[in-house]
Order: sequence, then structure tokens, then C-alpha cells
Amino acid sequence: MIQFVLRRILYAIPVLLVVALVTLFLFDIAAGDPAAIKLGKNPSPEAVAALHEKMGFNDPFLVKYGKFLWSTLTVDFGDSWSDDTPVRTVFKRGIIPTLSLTLPAFLLGTFVAVILALLVAFYRGSLLDKAMTVVAIAAISISSLVYILVFQAVLADAWKLFPVWGYEYGIGAINFIALPVLIWILLSIGTDMRYYRTVALEEISRDYVRTARSKGVSEHRVLFSHVLRNCLIPIVTRMAIIVPFLITGSFLLEIFFGIPGLGTVLYTAINNSDLPIIKAFTMLGTVLYVTFDIVADISYAALDPRVRLS
Amino acid sequence: MTAVDVSAVVPGPGRTVARTPRQEAWRRFKKDRLGLFFLAVVGVYVVIALWAACVGWGGSYEIAGQVRPAYEASMQQLGFELDGKPYPQTQTGPSTAGGSYTWLGTDKLGRSILYRGLQSTKVAFTVGTFGALLSVVIGMTLGLLAGLLGGWVDRVVVFLYSSLASIPYLLLMLAIAFVIRKGPFATRYDEWAPWGWDVSEAISLGLLNLVVVIGLTSWVTLCRLVRAEVFKVRELDYVNAARSLGFGTWRIAFRHVLPNVFHLVIINFSLTFVIAIKSEVILTFLGVGVDKEPSWGQTIAGANNELMVGFWWPLIVAGSLLFGLTLAVNYVGDALRDALDPKLKT
Repeated sequence: MIQFVLRRILYAIPVLLVVALVTLFLFDIAAGDPAAIKLGKNPSPEAVAALHEKMGFNDPFLVKYGKFLWSTLTVDFGDSWSDDTPVRTVFKRGIIPTLSLTLPAFLLGTFVAVILALLVAFYRGSLLDKAMTVVAIAAISISSLVYILVFQAVLADAWKLFPVWGYEYGIGAINFIALPVLIWILLSIGTDMRYYRTVALEEISRDYVRTARSKGVSEHRVLFSHVLRNCLIPIVTRMAIIVPFLITGSFLLEIFFGIPGLGTVLYTAINNSDLPIIKAFTMLGTVLYVTFDIVADISYAALDPRVRLS
Repeated sequence: MTAVDVSAVVPGPGRTVARTPRQEAWRRFKKDRLGLFFLAVVGVYVVIALWAACVGWGGSYEIAGQVRPAYEASMQQLGFELDGKPYPQTQTGPSTAGGSYTWLGTDKLGRSILYRGLQSTKVAFTVGTFGALLSVVIGMTLGLLAGLLGGWVDRVVVFLYSSLASIPYLLLMLAIAFVIRKGPFATRYDEWAPWGWDVSEAISLGLLNLVVVIGLTSWVTLCRLVRAEVFKVRELDYVNAARSLGFGTWRIAFRHVLPNVFHLVIINFSLTFVIAIKSEVILTFLGVGVDKEPSWGQTIAGANNELMVGFWWPLIVAGSLLFGLTLAVNYVGDALRDALDPKLKT
């Protein structure tokens, strides 16, 4: 077990090195001169030179790469270009609003998706099952931007059921996140439900289910105490993989509903070509992804005694 | 799943020849009435896209004669001008003005919603088809090579896609889009005209950028699947037979193994097609997507400002047209998967 974890971590290191290289390479080509962003339209040549010196703009690529790796390792990405706050502070500010939106949305969404999936798996092949499949496909065929614009215009703006824009720390946040949470669930439920349905159907066709049925266990009980328990393994594994996306947040929902989370941070950074933040975001996302990939594998083995890690 | 259909392999009375796998798949596909319906829907969209490609962008740029009065008034109050004239335009617009041109109304600038909506199909198909094609070609080739050659080739491919998959998807797309649009490539592309043929006129940088971004970021799933499938297939007798006959790796890959994993390619093509046209909306909203041609993404992204002044129908029209195509392709893709790979059917 420990050996497996160690090997996975060692394997993740070259991945991170390459991602850092690609990130630095792509954004350094794309960004152009930071002086153009920081100093306005007509900077004096001295100021430009001073800034270049300070930022290490003229360093050889390898030196830049080394510095970038070091900043990733120490989680210190310097200051934002647009307002000189440390990137770390910007991230700390954004994490709470983001999680207050994504965490309830994700938990609620998964709960609803699993229940619906078990329901359609129970009535597999029936009209309900087929209808739900079509509805799920239809739900994932709508552009996320259309969902947001329509729901905001109708539910918040016209019917005044929700606030249109804004955020409040503490318990008052519920008011502001309700509609984004609803949209998040609608956006994810189609894919999730179909995935969990496949998982449930796979379990239902197994021998132990037939045994339980032949012993006279009610279909209800078979579903909720036998099948659901065995389904937990893929459910938990899938949840672990989604966690990184919860932290980086949904930038569309956040900017349209004015939630000052990491999604908004990213969007503003993209609009301002704020490279330190964009680069930090990329590395943070990658580290999270790699970490939770390993967590998913471990949880898989921990939950299912049949799985041996090798 | 109902009882296994054996008529394909067991010759019955009046049937002595077994069906080919392709006929068999089509027979299964035909059973799904809804699937056939949506296939027809995709066909209609294809016709519209071809029509849009023939008429060019004409019409969708022009200003209709009838700009909505309420909007005229508000723009006049704000002192906005259009082409140097105060807002209510007195020109009668193109010849179709008032006719089919304004059937679904006009947008804030007085352009026909109907024309723009229909012409956007061209962008959707360009991005969807070529983006998915690029992605499928990369994924398929790398997957085949990794699976067949094994060894260090396999290790490199796996390393490549696990690195790529761990970068946040949106940021990777943005990074590539930035490089294409703002890097040295952009200016060179605008001037690039081999044999006097202006390439950037035919396919704008914004479109090319989307195709490349989709192609480079979405091949991982297919590559994984093909690689795993090839590992299974390559141990089969017929591949050994081909090898012992002295056929080269490329020939075995493309003539013998590929047909056996091709269903994955087809299914993945439809999935990536949908991802591509949905990404077009998001990337256009972020300002790194389509900017010249009319596209659903442009209309939807622009609707944010239009909704505030009461212009809700451009969003509904563009959103519905986009929805129709994605729904149809999604459903056909699903039905194809069931038809081509009955093992997967649940």
C-alpha cells in the first residue's frame, strides 16, 4: 500500500515538471511584454528596463523555469500584476466563496443524481427509463451560458425569486448561492445520472443480486441495501476525481452572479492578462488533479477489499 | 437488453449469408426510431450549413430597415450613432427587409436573427467537424501506435496524455488560444496567401484557432480507449497471422487492427463534435473564439448586454438552434454506441 502510494507520487513528479514547462512556455509566448501591461501605454525606457530587471524578464528560459518550479514548491507565486497583491492572498480570499457555492451544489447534485439513477435502474427498460434518458441527453445539450442567462433573466430578474447579483459572507450566502447551485445541479445531473445508472445496472446484473432475490428479499431492499452499498465504490471514486474542480470553481456561474470566488479571480486575471495568477491557477489545478487522482485510487482500494494495488 | 439475436450468425431459412458487422450495426440502429429522427435532424442542419457556405455571410451583416422603435428611441436618447447617422436609420435596408428577413426579429444592431442564426450553422459545423477530426486523428494514431508497439513508445504516449489530462481543461484551451491569436503566428497567418489565395479570408484566425484548440485538447479519451482496445486485439490470432506473413506495423495497424477499434473512433467523433460546438460558445464569450463570422457563441455571449434592454429573442433563437444540433448529435452518438458496441449496452 505505502509502496503503491510512493510510486504514484514519484510518477506524478515528472508529470508536474512537464506541466510547469508547458505552462511557462505557452504563457510566456502568449503574454508578450509585462511592461506593456504594468506600465501603461508610453513608459519610459528606464522604467521598462527596471521592471524587466525586477521580474527577471530577460533571464534565460532555464532560469525562469527554475524560479517557476521553486515558486510552485513554496506556493509563492509573487504578486498579481494588476494590483500588486500577493497571489496567495488573492487565492485565500477567493476560496471560501467558491467552496460555499461548489460544495453544496456538488453534494446535493450527487445525491439527487444517485437517487434518480437507482430509480431508473430499478425501472430499467420501461418508458420512465427511456424518457429519463432523453431528458438527461436534452439537459446536457443546452449550453451552460444559455442556462445561466435564461435562469438569471427569468427567475431572478423577472420573477424576483432570487437576488440577481452579489454575495454575502456567513449564513447570508445561502440567499445568493441558491440559484447558482440550482443551475450547477441542472448542468451536471444529466451526465452524472447516466454514469450512475450504468454503475447501478452493472451491479444489478451480478450474481449476489440474483441470490438475494431468490432468497425472497424485496426488490426495494435489494436495491437500497445490496446494490447501493456496492455502488458506493465507483461513486466515491468519481467524487474524489471531481474535488479539484470544486476548488477551482465555476467561473461562468461566479461572474454572472457576482460571487467573488476563484472563478471570478481567474476571469479577471484572463481579462487583464494577469500572468502570475493564471500560471498559479494552472499549477494549482494540476497539483490538485494529480493529488486527487491518487486519492481516488487509494479510496478505491480501501473501500473494495477485492482490489489490490500494484 | 432482450434475448440475444442469433439470426445474424445462424443462417435461417431463406438466409444463407451472414450479415457483415456494418449491416448488423445499421439494422440495430434502425430499430431506434428516435435515433433515426435525430439523424434526419442532423441532416437538415447539414443542408443549412451547406446553404450558408454557398451564400457567404451576406445578409447577416446588414442592417434591416425595421429597427425596433423602442430601441431606436432609447439609443437616440443616449445619443448613439450608427455609421455617423443618428440611430433610427431611415434607409430601407436590403431587399428582403420586412419580409423573411425580419421573421424572427432583429438584434440590437438591427441584423436579422433568422439569417444570423441559420448562418451560424456553418461555424458550428466547421468547428465541430474539423475540431473533432483533428482530435480523432491524433487520438487514434497515438493510441494505435502505443498499443501496437508497446515499450517506450507506449510509455511516452501514456506520459503525454496523463500530463495533458492533468492541466485544467479550460486553462489549457486558453493558453493555446492565446498563443495562436497573439503570438507571432497570427500576423503571419493574416498575410499568408499561397498562389494568391488568401487563406485567412477562407478560414479566419478565430475559426482556425478553435479547431486547433479543440483538436489538441480533446484527444486523450479516445487515445486511452484505443490503446486499451489494441492491447486486447493484438494478441488475437489474426494479428499474429498478419505478423507472421511479414506485414509491417503500419499495415497491421491501419488494415487489420483499426477496423476492429473503429467503432470507438466513430462514437468519439460525435462526442467531440458536441464538445467543440459547446466550447465555441464559452471561448467566444471569453474573447478568444470566433470574432468575424456570425456564430451562436457570438449571439449568446452578446445576449448578456441585450437582455438588459429587453432583447431576449436573439438568445432564444441562437440557444434553440444550438440545442437542436447538440441534442440530435448527442442522441445519434448514443444510438450509434448501442448499435456499434452491443457489449456496452446497458
